[in-house]
Parts: sequence; C-alpha cells; structure tokens
Amino acid sequence: MTRYILRRMLQAIPLLFIISVVLFVLMMNMGDPLATLGGRRATRPADRERLTRQLGLDKPIYTQYLYWLIGNQWDHFDMDGDGTLESPGVRLGVLRGDFGISLVKRGTPALQVIWERVPNTLLLMIPAEILIVLGALIVGIVSALRQYTLLDHTITTLSFIGFSMPIFFIALLSMYIFAVLFKRWGLPYLPTVGMFDPSVGKTGLQVMWHMVLPLFSLTVISLAGYSRYIRSTMLEVLSQDYIRTAKSKGLPGRRMIMVHALKNASLPLVTIIGLDLPFLLAGALVTESIFAWPGMGRLFIDHLARTDVPVVMGILMIISVAVVVFQLLTDIVYAWLDPRIRYD
Amino acid sequence: MSVTKRLYLLLSLLIVAAMVLTACGGGGEEAQEPAGGGEELVATETPSEVVPPAEPKVAVFIFTQEFDSLNPYYTNMWFSEITSSLWDPWAWQFDQDNLPVPVLLAEIPSVANGGVSSDGMQLTMHLRPDLTWSDGEPITSDDFVFTYEMIVDPGNTVATTYPYDPEVESVTAPDETTVVVTFSEPFIPWVANLWHGLLPAHVLRPVFEAEGSIDGAAWNLAPTVGSGPFVFEEWESGSFARFVRNENYWGEAPKLDEIFVRFVPDDAAQINALVAGDGDVGTFFSYSDLDQLEAAGVKIFSVISGFDEGWFFFVGEPGHPALKDVRVRQAIAYAFDRFSLTEDLLLGLTTPAVTFWDMTPPFADPSLEAYPYDPAKAEALLDEAGWIDSNGDGTRDKDGVELVLTYGTTDRDIRIDTQAVAQEQLAAVGIGVELFTYDSDLFFTGFGDGGPVATGEIDIAQYSDSPLFPDADTYYFLCGEIPTEDYPDGGNWQWLCDEDLEALFEEQIYEPDEQARLEMFYQIERIMYDQMYWLGLWRDPDLFGVNERLTNVKISGRTPFYNIVEWDIAP
Repeated sequence: MTRYILRRMLQAIPLLFIISVVLFVLMMNMGDPLATLGGRRATRPADRERLTRQLGLDKPIYTQYLYWLIGNQWDHFDMDGDGTLESPGVRLGVLRGDFGISLVKRGTPALQVIWERVPNTLLLMIPAEILIVLGALIVGIVSALRQYTLLDHTITTLSFIGFSMPIFFIALLSMYIFAVLFKRWGLPYLPTVGMFDPSVGKTGLQVMWHMVLPLFSLTVISLAGYSRYIRSTMLEVLSQDYIRTAKSKGLPGRRMIMVHALKNASLPLVTIIGLDLPFLLAGALVTESIFAWPGMGRLFIDHLARTDVPVVMGILMIISVAVVVFQLLTDIVYAWLDPRIRYD
Repeated sequence: MSVTKRLYLLLSLLIVAAMVLTACGGGGEEAQEPAGGGEELVATETPSEVVPPAEPKVAVFIFTQEFDSLNPYYTNMWFSEITSSLWDPWAWQFDQDNLPVPVLLAEIPSVANGGVSSDGMQLTMHLRPDLTWSDGEPITSDDFVFTYEMIVDPGNTVATTYPYDPEVESVTAPDETTVVVTFSEPFIPWVANLWHGLLPAHVLRPVFEAEGSIDGAAWNLAPTVGSGPFVFEEWESGSFARFVRNENYWGEAPKLDEIFVRFVPDDAAQINALVAGDGDVGTFFSYSDLDQLEAAGVKIFSVISGFDEGWFFFVGEPGHPALKDVRVRQAIAYAFDRFSLTEDLLLGLTTPAVTFWDMTPPFADPSLEAYPYDPAKAEALLDEAGWIDSNGDGTRDKDGVELVLTYGTTDRDIRIDTQAVAQEQLAAVGIGVELFTYDSDLFFTGFGDGGPVATGEIDIAQYSDSPLFPDADTYYFLCGEIPTEDYPDGGNWQWLCDEDLEALFEEQIYEPDEQARLEMFYQIERIMYDQMYWLGLWRDPDLFGVNERLTNVKISGRTPFYNIVEWDIAP
C-alpha cells in the first residue's frame, strides 16, 4: 500500500504541472485585469500603461508563467518607466509557497486572500455535506426498504422536484417566503443575507441562525441526487444471495441492513463523496452569492470577473491538489470497504 | 426498536432541534429588540443607579460589490470611493446640487479669495486649524505633500496618477495649514479632480521608508486612522465592513454610532434584504424593482452623477464604410425610437439623453433636443447616401457592401433588451445588426489586448459613461488618444478625429472664464449632435434606496454621503 501511495503521489506531479499550464493559459485569455479596475469607467490610458509595466503584465505569457511558478527574483523591472530595469523581482513562486500578489487587493499575497475565506467556506460546506449524506442515507434506505409503496413514490417525486430545480430558484424562493413574506405576515422570520445581525453581533447562535436558509438550499438540491444513488444500490444489494441467506439464518433486520447491505452498497457512494469532498473547498458559488456568505465560491467569481490571475490560479491549484489527494483517499477507503481490493 | 421507529425518532429529534434553534435565534423582530429585557430587570432592583444603555444607532448599507482597497488612491471602485465620506473625506465634497462644500479647507479656493492665481497656474489652500486624525495627531499640510508624493512615486501601484501626473508640477507646504499646488499648465478642472482622500503621513511614511512602497501597508485594507466622522473598525473579507463613530472627530459629531456595510453581490438578494428590513441603504437597482421597494417603505433617491447611456459609433479605419457618412449616423438616430424605449423598458422613469453631458449640469446645451423617431426621414437619408437594397435581401447595400453593423455591449439585462429592440427597429429601415454581448472586463479590454471596442471590432458600442463629473472635461474624443500599435493604451475608442472638436477640447481646458467655457462645451455638443458621433439612449442617474427609519438623509451624485453626520435613526 505504501508503494502504491508513493507511486500515485509521483504521478500527481506531472499531472499538476500540466493542469497549471492549461489553467494559466486559459486565465491569461479570460480578460484584462486593467480594463476597468472594478470601476465604472475604462482605466485611463496613462494608468493602464503604467500599471501594465509595474505589475509585469507586459511580459510574454511564458515569462509570466515562469514568474508564477518559480518566482522572479532572477529578473529586474522598470517601475518608473525610464527604460532602465532597476528594480529586482521579489516573488518566490508557487513552488516555494508564494502564489503571487493579488491584482485586485494589490499588495496582499494571493494565499492570504484565499486563506481568509477557508473557515467560512468550511463552516457552511461541512454541515451541508453532513446533512446531505445523512439525509440521503435515511431517505435512500427508507425508499429502498419500502419499494413501490406510497412513501417510496412520494419520496421519488420530491427527489425529482428537488433535483430538477436550479439552486438560485430555491435560494431566492426560500428567502422570499421565509424572510420577506413571513415578516409581512407577522411570523418569526429568517434573515435574508449575511452571517449575523449587526445589532446583535457575531455570536455562534446568530451564525447558525443565518446558516439555516443557505443550508436548506444546498441540502434540497444535493440530497435528491444522493438519495437516488443510495436507493438504487441498496435495492441491488438487497436482492443478492448473501442477503437472502442472512435473512433465512434469522439475522436481525437492523444488523442485516446496516452491516451487510449498507456497507456493500456504500462503494458507489464513497466514489461520489470522494469526488465531492475536494469541492467543499471551492464553496458554493450561487448559494454564497445569494445569501452573501463570504466563502470561496464568491471569492472565485469576484476575482475571476476581474481576471485576478494569482488568486484564481491559487484557488484552482488548491482544488486540483485536493482532488488528487481525495481520489487517493477514496481508493484507500475502497480497500477497507471491500477486502477483495488490493493495490500491491 | 425497529428501523422505522428509529427513523421516526431521528426525524422527531431533528424537528425538535430546529424548533429550539428557531426559538433561540429568533426572527428579526426578536433579534432587534433592545439589548434587553435583562437590563430592565436589573433596573427594577436598583432603579437609582442603573440606566439601560441606549441601543446603538447602526445603519446597515448594502453594497453589491466588495471593496478592493480602502486606500482611496489604490482603487477605481465606486463602492470604495463613496465610503470615503465616512472615514477619509475629500478636501471638499459635493452637496446634493453637486456644488463643492469645503471639508478640510477653511474655504474653497477661488480667484476672488486669492486661492487661485489669476493665470490659473497656482492653487493655494488654507486648512482648517482644528483638524486631527482619529488617533489625535494633527492633520497638517505635510499630509497633503505626502499624499502627492505617494501618488506619483513609481514604487506605488496606485490606480490612477491623474491629475497629479502630469498636470501638477509640485505640491508644497509653506506652513502647517497652507498647501500650494502648482500646475504645469493652467488646469481648470481641479475642483473635480484633486484631493479625493488624504493619506496619514505619520502612519504611512515609516512604511514607505522601510519598503520603498506603500503597496503592502496594512493601512490600505485596515485604515484604523482616518479623518472623517467615522473610523474604520473591521473588515471581514466577503462579508462586511464596520465604521464606528470617531470620538476625536473635529467637526460636528455624527448622530449614528456605526455604519455597517454588508456585501451582497446578488441584485435580487439585495432587494429582498431591503424589503425585509435587513438593510437601510442600497443602490444600483433596476427600475422594475422600485415599486416593490417603495411599497416596503424604502425611499428612492435619483441623483445626477454624470452618466449617460449611449452608442459610440466607430468611425475609424477600416470600420464599416457606412458609419463614416454622417447621413447614415443620423438615419440611425431617426430610426431608433428611444422615447418608447425609455417609456417601456425603463418605465418612463428617465428620458432619452441628447448629449454626452446631459447628466453633467450646467454643461448640457438646453437648446438641443433629442432626434425624433422618424423612420421615413431615416430611409430618405439612407437613400440620399446611396445605401439602397439593390439585391432585394431586405438589407441596404452600396458598392457590394451590405449595411450590416456589429453592435456590442455588456451583459446587463437592460442592455440586452435594448439590443433586441434596436435590431428590430433598424431592420425596419433596412439596416442589419449583428448583436454581441460581453463580460464587462472583456468589453473594456484595451487595444493592445484586442478589446472589441478599442480595436473597432464592433461598429456600435453601447455603455454608460461620464466626463470627469462634475466637471465636463474628457479625453475620449481627442485625436491623440486614438490607439495605435505604438500607443496601444489610447482611450479614444471611436477613433474619432474632428479638427473642430479637437480645437475646442484643447481650448476649454485652459479657459478660466466659466461662462466662456460653458459656451465652448455648447459648441462641442452642437458639433457632436450635428455629426451624430454619439447617440444618447437614456439619462442614467444613480438610484439609492434609503429605509424610512433613517432621517435627514441627502444624497449627492459625486460624494453621495456628504452629510452623513446629520443622518439619524427615527425613534
């Protein structure tokens, strides 16, 4: 197993290198970070010329990639526009942990900009994932055990409704009903946006209260898909000979379902969760935007809109690394769940 | 216990937990109750000693964009700029009529009071003697000199050096309360362009001396020292920023205790938050949302801010040959019904713009009227110009060239709707239109990077823009600003070079007489109107929504929160 893990990690190096090249080239063609600088008017010509030079955006794309990868301490720059390359570079490069300086928050390291959002992202996404998996397990198992009953049909219908609705619709609809209309009707109402009420302060209870609607939206959308997977794999496993044998030997129903059926039915679910986990770091783009939750999804879209290459590349590379790591973990979990799987 | 029973138990527990959470968290009403019942109980026990603290007066602003920097010279973002009034006001701000009001100065410099030299080359500013930073340090002329030095220093990647480079030759401090600005040439639009915030020398100079730049200064993102009625307290990335009352403020004390800025990027969520009372101030609404806001007790302020939406015709080379003929440009103006457009799409809440300066009073020539909707006249002009449908394909042509224009804009809903209307109406007179929409950063990409507007890839570019409001000066139409391979950063994206216009633009910048300068702009507008270089679609005021619980609110187009110290919350 150790040799397998080492081999996978070595294989990841060229993979990440290729990913970084492709992403960098794509990013450099996404727009002009100096077009408006986030303002309402196009950047003045003289400022565009000066900032292009000062920020090193006048260099060829391969040079900028090299700066990003290994730093620019080996090069000099013309900061004052007099034609003399007088200022030495200060960037260390990604290989030495320096993702560069944000073009939007000039002067701030990209990694710092990203890191500030990680706690809030996980604060929303981990409970969401737990709720989704737990909810999907309950709904999927019940639906499988009660196949073709009224309960199963009801759950199936609701699942498809949830699965087919766009998240922005659920988010805005739930906000309108539980915040706007409930207030209008004089009922206790949920907050619309943010993490807390400024007149109360950022208490744990306030944050939990403000998480209700975002969690609801995320759960409704994803629970449907997950529960369908569990239902179908449970149905498949429940029809296997060994389950029938277990039943005929008089094994208690709970033990049969939880130990024998669910464990074997979990393999496809592990694959899906393994694929999903790295994207917890990416946050929930639409949900965060609508509920003004300060997570990674919003950071990504805000900085992508301004072609902030260091920050966007940082987010994408962190997610890429997370995908590689979680895929490896998934394979290891496979071996634990199914003793027939051996990697050595 | 069976699996079913366990599931029911689990579901019941979840429901109970949700109910407990509801009870603890409370709806907004509970959450906004005075800090509590708790204090009242204590007060009953010891009535003579304990006075319940007054609830802090917190106004919640909802911004759809988050700041990139709070250093006023490191940002072009409007949302950053407008918060300046709270914590780092301009040397002079603009009132609701967009007239300058001195803030850090004893008076606005003028020729009459000796603040502006008769040749327009020098500006002498006298500071108020009682100015202090929020940490108690005095604000002196040295802070102005330092601010100037930081803007023009090549070690700093400030957003813009205009007008300090090249218009300003020097900034000096003869004494602690006098600042002298010397221009390289007479610079009339100084009132709209100078001193949009002040940098505290005692905080930033040590950073600059140590690092050769203030790019990485902590103050840029956490300006805990300021000069305004509020002072920066906290900024949580992506979530909120707080500005609390500045106890060392040298002017009239603000009535509010705190301004809480919440970043809500989604437009619909912003509307819901304002309607639900989760925000007091919002801006940048669609006209279609105004009814809902007003019904919820949100007062709408429509303020003049210099912006007019319009079509910029590309008249450079190669470009479409038809647009080089003034009769075709005029025909387009007659063929597009902007009156119905503003009535139907913009709900009659604004009117067609006539000139690029409509929203920059008093510079708009009142004698000009919008081209009427007259398709018959448009067709006559096109016939006269030789553009006829010779091959019967429904589109006019001339010398084998079809009159099909490319028309691009950004992806705002109202612009996409406008494109559809224009395409239909222009087709009715035989002008074909191909529509393109872009993300705004791609749309405004410069010539060097192949931007669609800058390179003339699209024949008609639609967007909202303004001169250097509240001044009328602009560089957009100068011949020297046409982008080229040698000068890829040029800002004249119409590639328009009209000798008469050029002469007037060059002349107005040095004209010290207000009335004479006004007349020059009237001449500029008349030329642009007759030649139809720019077609106004609608006047584009800024919309602000303010919850009715806020009182004494006035909004300016240039410095919206200029009277923030007077704002209060109704009891």
